Amino acid sequence: MKPIDFHLHRPTTLAEAIALLAEHGDDAKVLAGGQSLLPLLNFRLARPEHVVDLGRLTTLRTTRRTTDGLTLGAMVTYARAEASRAVAEDAPLLAAALPFVAHKPVRARGTVGGSIAHGDPAAELPAVIRALDAVMVAAGPRGVRRIPAAEFFVGNLVTALEVDEILTGIDVARPARGTGAAFTEVGRRQGDFALVGAGAQVTVADGVVVDVRIALTGIAGVPHRATEAETLLTGVPPADLDLDAAADATRAVIAPSGDLHATADYRRDVAGVLLGRVVATAVERATGHAHRAA
Amino acid sequence: MRPRRDGRRGCPVTATPSAPAAAAPDAHRYLSQEAGVREDRRFVAGRGRYVADVTPPGTLHVGLVTSPHPHARIVDIDVAEALALPGVVAVLTGAELAKSTEPLRQYLDVPEVQWRPLAVDATRYAGEWVAAVVAESRALAEDGAELVVVDYEPLPHVMDPEVAARADAPLVHPTHGTNVMAHREFAWGDVAGGRARAGATTTVRTRWNRNSTVPLETFGVVAAWDPHRELLDVWASIQMPQFPDQLAGALRIPTNQVRVHFDIDVGGSYGVKRGIKHGVLAGFLARRLGAPVKLIEDRSENMHGGDFHGPDRVFEVELAYTADGEFTHLRIDVIDDEGAYPGRSPLQLAKPIGAIVGPYRIPSVEYNATAVTTNKTGQVAVRGFGQSPTNYAIEAAVDAAARDLGMDRLELRRRNFIQPEEFPYRIPSGTEYDSGDYPAVVDKAVRAADLPALIERRDAVRAEGGLAGIGFAACLEPSGGNAIFENVMNPRNDKTTFPEGCRIRVDGEGAVTAVVSISSAGQSHDTMVATLVGEELGVDPAGITVLRADSLAGFPSQSPVGSRMAIVLGQAIRGAADELKARLCAIGAHQLGLAPDEVRYDRGSVVAHADPDAAVGWRDLVAIAHRKQHLLPPGASPGLEVVHVAHTPRSGTLAEPDGTVQLYPCYSFEVHVVLAEIDPGTAKVELRDYVIGHDCGTVLNPEVVRGMVYGGTAHGIGVALYEQFAFNPDGQPLTQSFIDYLLPSAHEVPDIVDVEHCTPSPYTTFGQKGAGEAGYMGAPAAVAGAVNDALTARGAAPVHSLPITPSDIWSALRATREEGPQ
Repeated sequence: MKPIDFHLHRPTTLAEAIALLAEHGDDAKVLAGGQSLLPLLNFRLARPEHVVDLGRLTTLRTTRRTTDGLTLGAMVTYARAEASRAVAEDAPLLAAALPFVAHKPVRARGTVGGSIAHGDPAAELPAVIRALDAVMVAAGPRGVRRIPAAEFFVGNLVTALEVDEILTGIDVARPARGTGAAFTEVGRRQGDFALVGAGAQVTVADGVVVDVRIALTGIAGVPHRATEAETLLTGVPPADLDLDAAADATRAVIAPSGDLHATADYRRDVAGVLLGRVVATAVERATGHAHRAA
Repeated sequence: MRPRRDGRRGCPVTATPSAPAAAAPDAHRYLSQEAGVREDRRFVAGRGRYVADVTPPGTLHVGLVTSPHPHARIVDIDVAEALALPGVVAVLTGAELAKSTEPLRQYLDVPEVQWRPLAVDATRYAGEWVAAVVAESRALAEDGAELVVVDYEPLPHVMDPEVAARADAPLVHPTHGTNVMAHREFAWGDVAGGRARAGATTTVRTRWNRNSTVPLETFGVVAAWDPHRELLDVWASIQMPQFPDQLAGALRIPTNQVRVHFDIDVGGSYGVKRGIKHGVLAGFLARRLGAPVKLIEDRSENMHGGDFHGPDRVFEVELAYTADGEFTHLRIDVIDDEGAYPGRSPLQLAKPIGAIVGPYRIPSVEYNATAVTTNKTGQVAVRGFGQSPTNYAIEAAVDAAARDLGMDRLELRRRNFIQPEEFPYRIPSGTEYDSGDYPAVVDKAVRAADLPALIERRDAVRAEGGLAGIGFAACLEPSGGNAIFENVMNPRNDKTTFPEGCRIRVDGEGAVTAVVSISSAGQSHDTMVATLVGEELGVDPAGITVLRADSLAGFPSQSPVGSRMAIVLGQAIRGAADELKARLCAIGAHQLGLAPDEVRYDRGSVVAHADPDAAVGWRDLVAIAHRKQHLLPPGASPGLEVVHVAHTPRSGTLAEPDGTVQLYPCYSFEVHVVLAEIDPGTAKVELRDYVIGHDCGTVLNPEVVRGMVYGGTAHGIGVALYEQFAFNPDGQPLTQSFIDYLLPSAHEVPDIVDVEHCTPSPYTTFGQKGAGEAGYMGAPAAVAGAVNDALTARGAAPVHSLPITPSDIWSALRATREEGPQ
C-alpha cells in the first residue's frame, strides 16, 4: 500500500500551480487536504506522475463575505468552515452538513474545495452545493471560469473542471430572511460515507414556502436535486405541506443501486424518509414552529 | 522489606503445588487491587516496540503478487521484467519455494490439502499469494510485484459453505475428492429419552457470517539468518503455539536453529496472529538471500490473504422442552466454512463441546459438525475458538423457544440454569463445569440494569409508535485452554500436553525477576506475572521485573489463548514460587538449627514456627544462597533460580470414542442485558443501555478485566451489527479496507456497566478463571435478541443472520407491512 513513484510539486502562487497543471495535464493530480487523494494514491487507484500540492497557496484559505453572500476559499478546511460565523449565517445548509463529514481528524485536514472537486456523490458537500446552486470559481491557463453547480457535477467522481483548472473558491448566495436549513444522513456507523443523506433549505415569506432546495447524497452518480419534491412544496403554507407526497415523488424518480451495506429498495425508501425530516426541520427553523415530519 | 505475618499456610518443604486458596479476595495483598497496568506506560507514551520497529542493517522488504481469481490454474509466471527493475533483488515463485520447504501444518489428516506460503500450480482464493518480490524498500517491492506477469486459467469456484458440502460442488482441492474436510456426529446422554420427554421443539437456523478479530497492527515478521552461528533470528507479531517448531519443520532446519524473540509487542490478536506462512516465506528468503528480510502486511493483504478470518457458520439448532419450559434435548448441526486451507480452524468446531449446553441443564445433546473448504482466504483461531458463534446459536434458540412458549425469556433461562449447589456439574459431553452461581449473577445484572425501568422505557418507546427491544444472553467462557480439541476432531492425534512455564530468579542483591517464554498481544501479562509472583512471594510487584525469554533460552510454553496465562502460567508461577520458598526455608532452617518443617516462609523471611523472633531475613537468605557456601545446607546448590513448567489443570486424558472429554478446566459466566432502540424510518439501531453481569472467579487485576469486558462487548456489538468479510458470487472480496469492514467506534458502543461476581474456581491457584473473551461470548446474542424483541413486537420475523444491518431490519419490517397486521 505504497503509492507509485511521483513528483511532488509545492507551488507558492496560483499562477505557478496553473502552469504546472498546464505542463503535466493528465499526468497530474491536485492535492488539497489529501483525505481522499492519499488513500487513492496508496491503493494505487490514482497513479499520477505529478502531484501538485496547493498547501502553500494561502490565498485559497480565506472566507470572504460579499454583498451577495460569501466566497469560500477552496482550501478552507471543513473544521474552519464549521467554526465560521459567516458560514453559519450565510450558508446555514452548509453549516448543518459539515458536522456529518467523516470524523474530526478528517475535518481538520480535509477541505471544502477538495471535496467538491473530488465530486463523490456519497459526500455531503457536493449535495449541499447543488441544493444551494452555488457557483464554482475555477482558474486555468485560459483565465477564470464561473461554473454553476447544476453543470459542475458531471458523473461519479467526474466534474466540469478541466485537467489544467484549479477550483479556487465557491460563491454561495446569502439566503433571504425567514430561511431555515437542515441536513441529515444515515450510515452504518457515524462518520461513514452515508447510505443516503438529505439536505434542505427552506424560505418562508408571508406565510407560504417561497423557496425550497433539496438535495440527496448516495443515490446516483451525482447529487440528486429533488426538484420533483421542491415543486410540490413551493407556494404552500408550512402547515399544509404534504411531506409524504413530496417523499413519494422523489422515491418515484430516483434509482439508487444496492451494495454490501444496503439494498436499492432501502435507499429509495429511506431517501424519502430523510427528505421529509430535513424539510420539516428546515421549515421549523425558518418559522420557529415545529412541523412534524412524515 | 518488612515481613508481615498473615496466618497463611506454612512453608512447603517440597515443590508440590499448594492447595487451592479458598480465601476471599480481600485476603490477598496484591491481587484484585486497583494497582494499575504497567504496560500502559509504554503504550500510552507510544513506546511499544512492534515488529515494524525492528529493522536490522541491510534489511530487504517483501512485496506480494496475489491472485485476482478465486480459483485458477497457474499456467506461467514471468518474472523477468520485475527482476530488471532497479532495487529489486529477487522474485520467488511458489514452485521454487516448494522445492526447498515442507507444506504448512494441517491438523486434520488431509495429505492432499497442501498449504504453502506461495501457491503452487493453482490458486484457491482471490488474494492468495502467488509470488514474492524482494527489494530494497517496500515501495520498490510493490513496484516489482506489479511487473510480475502471471498467466491464469480460471477454474470453477465455490463460495457458499452449504453448496461446498454438496457432492456436485466444484472442488477446492480436487485430489482430496471432497470439500468436506471433517465431519463428526456426536450423541451424548439419553437422546431418545430427552426427545420423548419433550412436549414441543423449536428449531432455528442461524447464520454467523465471516468476521474476525481485526487488529490495529497487521501481521508482520522479520527474519535474519546468521550463517556463521547457524541461527535464524525471527521477530514476529505472533500469538501461536509451536510457531518456532513449525517454522523449523517447514524450513527443514533443526528446531534449535530457530530463535523466535518473544520480547516484542503485538498490536492486537485475540487468536489471529498466526502468520506461519509469513514466517516460512521470510525465513526462507533470509536464508536464501543472506540478508534480513521484512514482511509487513498492508491492510489489503491482511484482509485478502492474511488467512486470519474467523468462523463462518451455518447453524440449525433444535431445542426440545416440556410444557413448563424445561429443556430436555438439544441438537446442533453446524457447517463451518474454513476457507481454502483449513489449518487449525476445524478444531474450532470441537472446542464448544466443552460448553455445548451453555449454562443450562440439558440432559442429552446431538452435535453434528462439518468443516468445508471454499474459495476464500483461510480461517484461523478467533477469540473463544468457536465458542461465541455457538453461544449465539444456543441463545437464539432459547429466545425462539420463549416466544413459542409465550414465556418470559429471562424466566425460561432461570428455569433451566444449572444451580449453584450442583457444581462441579458434568454436562452430557463429558466436561465438568468447575463452579458458578448463575442466578446470583443474573440477579446482580438485573438490579444494575433496573430491569423494570428498562421495560418501562422500552414500552414507552413502543407506545409512541417507535421500535425498541431488550436483549438477554447468558453464556459461558471456557478457559484455561488445553489442546484436547485436536484429539476430538482427529482421534489419531493423541496430544494431551499443553504446558506453560515460568522462571523466578532472585539475584545476588535480592531483586526478583520473573521470566516467561511467550509474547503477549495486549493481555497485560507483565502486570499479571508481577502481581502473581508478588502475591506468591509476599513482595511488592512494583519491584519485580518481568522479561520474556526467546524460544531457545526459554522453556516449554504454548500460547496465551483461552486465558491460559491466568490459569496455567498461574500454576507455573505457584510451582516456581513454592520451590523457591522451599529452598529459602531450607537455608533459613539450617541457619536456625531447625528442621525445614519447623520453619515457614513469611513474606521474605524464614520464621520458626515455635518462636516468631527466630527468623532469617531476606538479605541474609539471599547472601547465603549466592555468596556463602559455608552457610548453605549440605548438598544445596547455589543461587536462587527456579523454573517450573505446569500442566493445564484437569488435562492429560484423551477423549472417549464417543467424544466425551474434559475440555477446559474453568468456566466463567456472563449475562448481558441490553436495551436497543430502532429508528422506524431508517431502521438504524442505537444501543441505549448495556449491562453485563460477569463472574470470572477471583479478579487478578480489575482494570485488566474491565478492559477485556468492555473491549469484548464492543467486539460482540461489531459482530451483531457491523462486521463482515463479504464476497460476491464471483469470488471477489467486497471488504477490502476499513471503508467496508466496519469496526464499531466509540460512537456505536454505548456505556457498558460491568457488574462483577466472584465464584472462585477450585482448580486454580487463587480461584481465578478466564476473562480474555469476556463480553464477546454473549454480546452478539444479546444485541441480536434486543433487535428481534423489537421486530417481533411489531409482528415482524426475527433476523437470524449476523451482522443485522439497517437494510435487513427495514426488509423485515416491510414484509409485515406488505402482509398486513398479524
